[in-house]
Amino acid sequence: MGIQYFSFQELCTVTALPSQTIIEIVDHGIIEPEGTDPETWLFNTQMVSVTRKALRLHNDLEIDWSGIALVISLLEELEEIRHENQQLKAQLNRFIVG
Amino acid sequence: MAFKDYYKILAVAEDADSKAIKTAYRKLARKYHPDVSEHKEAEEKFKEVTEAYEVLKDPEKRAQYDEYRKYGGRSSSQQDGSYSDTQFEGDFSDFFSSIFGADAGGAGQGQRQSYGFTSQQSYNQRGNDIETDMPIFLEDTLAESSKTISYQLPHTDANGHISEINRTLNVKIPAGVANGERIRLKGQGGQGIGGGANGDLYLRIRMVPHPLFDVEAHNLIITVSLAPWEAALGATIQVPTLSGKIKLTIPANSQTGQRLRIKGRGLVRKQGHGDLYAVLKVVMPDTTDDQIKELWQQLASSAAFDPREEWSK
Repeated sequence: MGIQYFSFQELCTVTALPSQTIIEIVDHGIIEPEGTDPETWLFNTQMVSVTRKALRLHNDLEIDWSGIALVISLLEELEEIRHENQQLKAQLNRFIVG
Repeated sequence: MAFKDYYKILAVAEDADSKAIKTAYRKLARKYHPDVSEHKEAEEKFKEVTEAYEVLKDPEKRAQYDEYRKYGGRSSSQQDGSYSDTQFEGDFSDFFSSIFGADAGGAGQGQRQSYGFTSQQSYNQRGNDIETDMPIFLEDTLAESSKTISYQLPHTDANGHISEINRTLNVKIPAGVANGERIRLKGQGGQGIGGGANGDLYLRIRMVPHPLFDVEAHNLIITVSLAPWEAALGATIQVPTLSGKIKLTIPANSQTGQRLRIKGRGLVRKQGHGDLYAVLKVVMPDTTDDQIKELWQQLASSAAFDPREEWSK
């Protein structure tokens, strides 16, 4: 199957967002497509889901895009740390008796 | 249909001014936003809070609601009697719809991104994308595997009635998928309206925890229990991997916590394989008979070993 990519136009379609909003989201580094300009941009499925999350936060909590860039990077970090914590706990449990 | 006390939901007084209501809403919306909150009922709570705010921020709706609330929800003026339009599946509750009508939610409200299967109907609209969890065993990621997935799809008939139908699909899961990865199945989501394209189905890969192996990036970790004499003298043992057992040589004088690398027996990645690490754990036998005890005693008297040497410095 390989990695699945979306063009800029496709991302606009699946998220139902105007191109200007996507450009703004990319400008804030919330998602980082491959390619150098909108014509060559390639987005993966993860970026589609981050775009949707960004949009929900923007609409529901009235956060501006730079605030969202911060929130999303902190959320990602939190998720990584939770994941790591879970792994370490699981490994530790194999060493502790009873 | 339960009565909803919007004041209680926002934790504000009945005479709270609009500023206090806004502040209370913002605080709770941040707390329960499904993208941020770990609360297990976050989505429900968030919807409830949003609905309460939708009513209380609008003086007209608030007055209408106050009236309804005052008469303990028994006001007859707003009830349509039969309550037949239950096919409406919006972001707001039945309770909300019964007071303000099914179309009131979100009107003039800047479109709120929905979390469920809502659809704002207009001509030629693309169907909704649907995301669902796909549990995968570690063993399944070594090679391309075939899985059956069942999910629910909102279905709109010719009269605009929305119902949910069950769909079953056979899906090929590529080798080397990782936890959290999303696979897109184009056109398998909600149906488009008025000739619009169908939405997509996204499968979110969830790795099922394995009883033997822990995952660390693309490497696997297995904890190997050793008898004290195996650790002391070395041994050759059988170790399970995701694809059958292999022989592993334990060197003499091994320690608990030591990691032995077994190359290429980890998870499959886009490029190459990860490794399997055997983490050693020296364990004591549960019972000791007299003969064994004597052997331990011999060992104790002849081995010059102080495991707590660092304390006597």
